[in-house]
Amino acid sequence: MSKYLVKRFLLMLPTLLGVALVTFLLIRVIPGDVVELRYSGDRGAVSQEILDQERARIGLDQPVWKQFVTWLWGVVRLDFGTSMWTGAPIWEEIKLRFTLSLQVAIMATILSVMLAIPLGVLAALKQDTWVDYAVRIFSIAGLAMPSFWLGIVLILFLLVVFKWLPPMVYTPFWVNPWQNMLQLVWPALAVGYRYSAVATRMTRSAMLEVLREDYIRTARAKGLMQKLILSRHALKNAMLPVMTVVAIEFAFLIGGLVVTEQVFNLNGIGLLFVQAVAHRDYTLLQALVMLVAGMFIFVNFLMDVAYAWIDPRIRYR
Amino acid sequence: MAISPPIDQVAALPAQDSWFTAARRFCLGRPLGAIGAAVIVVMFVVAVLAPLISPYDPVVNDFAGMLAAPSRAHWLGTDAFGRDVLSRLIYGSRTALLVGFGASVLGATLGAVLGVASAYFGGRVDLYLQRLMDIFLSFPLIILALALVAILGNSIPNLILAIMIPMIPRAALVIRSSALAIREMPYVDAARAAGFRHGRIIMRHMLPNVMAPYLIMLTAFLGQAVLLESSLSFLGLGVQEPIPAWGLMLRGAAVEFAETAPWMAIFPGLAISLSVFAFNLFGDSLRDALDPRLRTQ
Repeated sequence: MSKYLVKRFLLMLPTLLGVALVTFLLIRVIPGDVVELRYSGDRGAVSQEILDQERARIGLDQPVWKQFVTWLWGVVRLDFGTSMWTGAPIWEEIKLRFTLSLQVAIMATILSVMLAIPLGVLAALKQDTWVDYAVRIFSIAGLAMPSFWLGIVLILFLLVVFKWLPPMVYTPFWVNPWQNMLQLVWPALAVGYRYSAVATRMTRSAMLEVLREDYIRTARAKGLMQKLILSRHALKNAMLPVMTVVAIEFAFLIGGLVVTEQVFNLNGIGLLFVQAVAHRDYTLLQALVMLVAGMFIFVNFLMDVAYAWIDPRIRYR
Repeated sequence: MAISPPIDQVAALPAQDSWFTAARRFCLGRPLGAIGAAVIVVMFVVAVLAPLISPYDPVVNDFAGMLAAPSRAHWLGTDAFGRDVLSRLIYGSRTALLVGFGASVLGATLGAVLGVASAYFGGRVDLYLQRLMDIFLSFPLIILALALVAILGNSIPNLILAIMIPMIPRAALVIRSSALAIREMPYVDAARAAGFRHGRIIMRHMLPNVMAPYLIMLTAFLGQAVLLESSLSFLGLGVQEPIPAWGLMLRGAAVEFAETAPWMAIFPGLAISLSVFAFNLFGDSLRDALDPRLRTQ
């Protein structure tokens, strides 16, 4: 097991390096840089000299490979440098917003799993009845609705029915947990619906497959209660693919939050991302993309390890 | 010795269904898919006939009739510039279909070529291509598309490009696994023995045989591309004003005036949802019809 673990861990490194390289190059190709953009307000008033000075100050005059190496060395030490736009350390910029986005992501995950597993199991048990059709339509609709629109509709609904508007100021969890939950449950619901739709479909298909297995028939034949068959035999075996989908979707959820945070006025990672693109804030953008991609790679690694732990055959491949 | 063609066996093969019979069987066997297909057809007709059926010009402002509620004159009301919401929805279907089809056809096709080539050549080529795909798969669709739009600028062709590129590795991954089995087929060996060039074997012998997974990917991409386009436009990084696009219609004023003029926020979202819903319904049924192994999904 430890051999597999080391092997799988080392396999992660070239991908991470590649991600870093692609991120770095992609962002340098964006036309216009932060210096130009910051001084574009007083066009012409700034001499080329000052622009060059400013570029030299934040290291943009160095050759690209040198910039890359400097940056990569920082990333290895988990030091992402300072934002080119605000000048604040990136770690500071990201920390608070990341906890906010992470909380929404976790709440969305919990909501969607709570919704997906019962619905998926129900649809599989009642395959090709109206219950199955209803669940399938509900989940396909979840895939179709853009989360930002669902967010707008939710806000509209809350406004009309409860006269409640999402507050402009974010309340951290440790200040007022109730207020905080009340504020974040709606964005979590808006992104969670789509998320649950993916998981529902997976649960349904995995359950259908497992229910056809011989051991389920055996369990039925020996007169086991339906409830026990489901919980002990079927669900346990069907959960593996479902957990995979949930994990992968979780890693990508931060990306999905990009649009939803805009609707709910949440100052999270997604909003920061859009701002970083607009400001050509190379260092911040690099850090954010690395963070999201790195999370995905890490979750994948964890999934593989979990698989190997559950199924010993994988380790010997 | 000449080999006589096995005529009786050829005759025993069932006649190939005509397109019409195949379509009829699809509609009867999969009502949900047929509904999806019908909605897509209606969307196409609306997009093509937009100048004939839209009651107003979608880009002309009317400051006398701003934020008017749905009425007989404006069935779905007007927006903050007094533009007719229904007309903008009708013209918006052009943007959605153009970007949706453009991005997913290009993405799935390039992905298929790469996937098949990767499986066909194997060895080093396969390994390096797979690594490269792995790297691109680590970026969420929207993050990569956002970065690309920032690089390319936001015209409609660039938008198609930005949505297409993140789809390539996803298509390549799926197509490669199907192509791996096809590479082992005797007819590929035969083609190689006949001395055909690699390009010809890939294009003529392998690509046609991954048609089923290709079509499945393509229909799955359609809905995603429409969603992605509307998300980017909603963020202000996609289609630019005054071009009518559904995501763009939900931006800014639609949220600010959501309480007093909810029609501005409701209808474009419904249009997006309905079209993506139709694409997904159709895609799901097509997958079931083409690939019986996946029927349970």
